[in-house]
Formats: sequence, structure tokens, C-alpha cells
Amino acid sequence: MNPTRDTHATLVDLLDRVLDKGLILDADLIIHVAGVPLLGVKLRAALAGIETMLKYGIWEDWDAAQRAIAAEEYRLKKMARAPEKELAALCSNSTDTTL
Amino acid sequence: MENKGRYIYGVAASDRTVNLGPIGIGGSEVFTIPCGNFCAIVHSCPAEPYQSTDENTVKQWVKTHQGVLDEAKKELGTIVPMGFDTILQSKDDAISADQVVKDWLKEETERLHSLMEKISSRDEYGVQIFYVPRIISKRISEENLDIQKIKDEMASKSPGMAYLYKQRVEKAVRTEIERLAGDWFKDFYARVKCHCADIVVEKTKRIGQDNVMLVNLSCLVAKEKVSHLGEELEKINNTEGFSVHFSGPWPPYSFVAKPVMPVKEEVK
Repeated sequence: MNPTRDTHATLVDLLDRVLDKGLILDADLIIHVAGVPLLGVKLRAALAGIETMLKYGIWEDWDAAQRAIAAEEYRLKKMARAPEKELAALCSNSTDTTL
Repeated sequence: MENKGRYIYGVAASDRTVNLGPIGIGGSEVFTIPCGNFCAIVHSCPAEPYQSTDENTVKQWVKTHQGVLDEAKKELGTIVPMGFDTILQSKDDAISADQVVKDWLKEETERLHSLMEKISSRDEYGVQIFYVPRIISKRISEENLDIQKIKDEMASKSPGMAYLYKQRVEKAVRTEIERLAGDWFKDFYARVKCHCADIVVEKTKRIGQDNVMLVNLSCLVAKEKVSHLGEELEKINNTEGFSVHFSGPWPPYSFVAKPVMPVKEEVK
């Protein structure tokens, strides 16, 4: 069988992906909306008629969990880079070289 | 006044400066901001998110987001897709929004490289497999020996007792479906997975009484393997009591979804 992208049959597939997935940023750079930084999730909630879930904070939990993962990754990345920086400082060289 | 936000659709492995025309959300001009080996596909917007409580408006935005990625792919090749409403902004008047995007691309070069490597020549496909409880229940109640036994006993009972036996049969069928569902899942998952470069198991959804979603997968599939996957799904689709929904190709949304944090200098 062949995959389909017919708009009616696959709108849910598209919404699942565009609203909940894709590369996520966690930075000062990105725009936040009070309470729910991942706006896509909020739109999703509005779409699916599951405001109740939002009300009871389920999406916020999910969002917090996502951010915790990001924070952990960031910490590991920073740790991995720390020796580089020390080295670089010793050599008084650029810090963006990757070993 | 210059817009301080840049809505990012995705990142391509190209250093080209391209104008894709007014194909963005709300008819915005979509263009690329190159830095190093990559370019961000963006439109210029105020530094505030798109939000609406109107379902059709949101659906249209989402379709447009996808449409831009389709066009950009034709022009620029492999793309790391961003989620909806990813807007970078400049918080410092001395730094332009374009520069903020460039700095971000520079910071993330390493990760973007490894993502590009992973998704190059591959697309994402959605695979959902359903069973039809009516057909499956019928088959089980005809074939399962234990259930047959209960039904045989039922035949000689009074209507009142027969009712209780009927309930026993229904319960036994449900238990048997639950047991078999585990086996079906393992079987279908293995048959799909062997054609995929990577796979994500998604949550199943309730969709109705007539069809029950058993398997919901996002699959990263190399171009040359899509037809093999299609053949396998055809076999499953032709199995009585089962049906398959096969969607795609999508940008690899599910395979770049790990949160990314730019390295910031102020964090000690």
C-alpha cells in the first residue's frame, strides 16, 4: 500500500506532528506565553476540546517534564565542554573548538 | 517599524539566501537566513506568538507551516522541522532579529550536523494499525476451545442461566483479545521496525467502537525502503479484522523532537 498525505484523512497526523513535535527550543530567545510556554500544546488543547486537561495542569506537567529533560541535556553538554574551556583558557585560544 | 521576531519553520543544510515568496502564515514573505553551512527558513513577524481559539484558523496555520516546509524542501533539500509557533526574538535593540537567528544557528551547528546526518534521504511516516472488535470477537468465540465449551454448556441452560453464560462468554472473549493484543503488537512492531532507520512508539488513541487502535508508530524510513514497508503494511491490511493507516511522507518531526538548549555564556 502507498502512504497518503490527503488533507482530510491525515489532518490529525499533521496536527500531532506540527503542534507536539519538531525541534523544540528552550531559551531566552523564544517567546513565552504566560503559564504555558509551549503554545503549540495550548492550541492543540483548544483544537481537541480538552481544555479540561489544561485546566487540571496535565499539559503543564508535560511541559515541565520536557523542560527538565532539556535542562539535564544542557547540564551534560556544559560538563562535557568544561574541560575544553579550561584547556582553551590555558592555551588562550578560542573556546568553540570541538575535541 | 522593523519586526523583532522571526518565525522559524525549519533549518536546511544550505548556505543559500533564498526568497520563497509570500507563502508563509498570513501571507508572510518566507526567506532564508544563512549562517555557516545552514540556513533558517523564516518569516518576519512581531515578537508575539500566533494564537487563536478558532479551530479553522489554527488548522490553516498548521497546514501553511507544513506547506512552507514542503516548498523549502524542493528548493533546499533536507530540513530539520521546527514545531509550530517557534519564534526567536531580539531582546536587545543593538542586535537584529536576523543576527539572533544566526547566533542560534552557530551555537547549534554541531547538533544540527548530527540531526542532518540522521535524517538525510529519509522521511517520516505514520503507521497506525487497528483491529475491528466485532470481527475479532466473532473469530475468537468460534475458534477458542474454552469459550466453545462455555457455549456448549449454555445451550442446555434455562434462559436466565443462559444470560449469565453469555456474559461469561463475553468476558472470556475480552480477556482473550487483551492477551492476543500483546502478541499482535509485538508481531506488527517487529514487521514494521525492520524497514525503519528509527522508530517511535506513540500513544494509541480512542477513536470509536468499530475500530480500536492497536499500534501507533512514527517511522523514519529511507527512501528506497518505503515500498518494502508499504508491502508489509499491505499484508497486515489484508488480514481479516485488521486495517492500516499509512501517512506521509512527513518532515521528520518525531526524530528531532528532543529539546534543544543553546549554550549561553552566562550559565556558570
